[in-house]
Amino acid sequence: MVIVENSRILAAETLPYRSFPDQAAVGAMEGALAKAGLRREDIALCLATGMGIRAVAFADDAVSEIISLHRAVRQLNSRARTVIDVGGHSFMAFNITEDGEIKESAVTDRCAAGTGMVLDAMAKVLEMPLDEMNTSAARSKKPVYINNQCPIFVESEVISLTNDGHDVLDLFAGVAASLAGKIAGLVGRVDLIPDVVMVGGVIRNSLVVSNLERKLGLGLTRLDGIDPQTVAAYGAALLAEERHRV
Amino acid sequence: MSRSPDGVIVAGCDIGALTTKAVIMKDGALLGAEILNSRARGAESARRAMEGLLGRLGLQWDSISYCVGTGYGRNVVPFAQANVSEISCHGRGAHWLVPSVRTVIDGGGQDCKALLVDENGMLVDFRMNFKCAAGTGAALEVAAESLGIDVSELGPLSLQAAEPALLRKPCCILTQIEIRHHLFEGRNRADIAAGINEITALQILPLVRELDVEKDIAFTGGMAKNVGLLKCLERELGTEMVRFPEDPQLVGAIGAALFAADRARTRS
Repeated sequence: MVIVENSRILAAETLPYRSFPDQAAVGAMEGALAKAGLRREDIALCLATGMGIRAVAFADDAVSEIISLHRAVRQLNSRARTVIDVGGHSFMAFNITEDGEIKESAVTDRCAAGTGMVLDAMAKVLEMPLDEMNTSAARSKKPVYINNQCPIFVESEVISLTNDGHDVLDLFAGVAASLAGKIAGLVGRVDLIPDVVMVGGVIRNSLVVSNLERKLGLGLTRLDGIDPQTVAAYGAALLAEERHRV
Repeated sequence: MSRSPDGVIVAGCDIGALTTKAVIMKDGALLGAEILNSRARGAESARRAMEGLLGRLGLQWDSISYCVGTGYGRNVVPFAQANVSEISCHGRGAHWLVPSVRTVIDGGGQDCKALLVDENGMLVDFRMNFKCAAGTGAALEVAAESLGIDVSELGPLSLQAAEPALLRKPCCILTQIEIRHHLFEGRNRADIAAGINEITALQILPLVRELDVEKDIAFTGGMAKNVGLLKCLERELGTEMVRFPEDPQLVGAIGAALFAADRARTRS
């Protein structure tokens, strides 16, 4: 949830998608309103975006995730020519032309391999916060590579490997490398033109990002001044603002 | 042909991705069976399952003259003298229980297989999915979890459905989100349970259709306990499947015990 005024972020709120999507949407809205010191009536227009569009009961309308992301990236980095979004459940990549239009896109909404779910599965099995694992695993000397890509199978493979006595951090380093490999494969469906901007929750995992940069052979750009998980919401807010002006 | 020498006791132990199954046979008959959750601790659960079963039957470890291990953890069954792939074991076990069986669909905890056997229960051909969790027992478990019920309730609940809820995602993790949307929209749980069985059947069937399916067809493994899923498969295949006199989840372990009986016979 992002609230903007004159294209500036007044407040942003991120809630995990564990409960029902409608409750999460209401909770995120209430949280953002509280942070901004606003009331519901102060919101002139609200657009919903993302996988759970239908669950945002209070939205005036909906826009697709790619349109929202494109809008936000254009606002925050005019040099972006490639955008990679790796979220908890989805993967998306697209190119932006010199004229700022969307070109060549790749979307995975049929399979959770190559998404943040893989990391969530790891955190669950290893009972360690992701950030902590990420920091410690960066020191792993010998990553243990895994065979599976499906998060459900990754989970059981990691359990077996842990029971075989493998070091937890070596395993995490292996999973991060494997996830980066899968993402690199998906990114291959669009042109890799700099600047390559990465958004989505997975960017917070520096081990995945460094592996991905190595595999792609270039540096990934982060967007400044925004939580990488709220980029699409910010784009939807910018679009809402434009519509309201009309 | 599957009888062990008279009085000789043989065992089969099937360590699956989610459960461990142990059976003991004597003179061509099943003496008893045990099913435990195994998850990661395969060897340990195999020992516990067999120990529990021996205790119930009043037998000792040395009563078993031959044991064959099978399943995902077939290499780690500590007391097995040999191991045989679960594909062969499911075919063999299903055919022994119902000799008219020629096609077996095995829905396991983390994979799904379709296989053909000959008139002796020996493997002829098979197809397997082990890259994607859709269409496996793990998928049913996560779906049931999203619905807030135990996986064992999916079958019975689905039979009360008015109309199956439409689930479209081919990935069982993304299906969880679809399930939440249906719940959010107030859809009846029975309808959602039926929808889960529908999509699971559709994910299993391509494997089956790659084979030259011959009747009779059997559904084995833990997924076969789901009567709703069984009915979906029957409707799509246009035929009834056989009903086993034993728990379909035991079929692999029974097949392993039959292979153990062969070995015991060759050895004596």
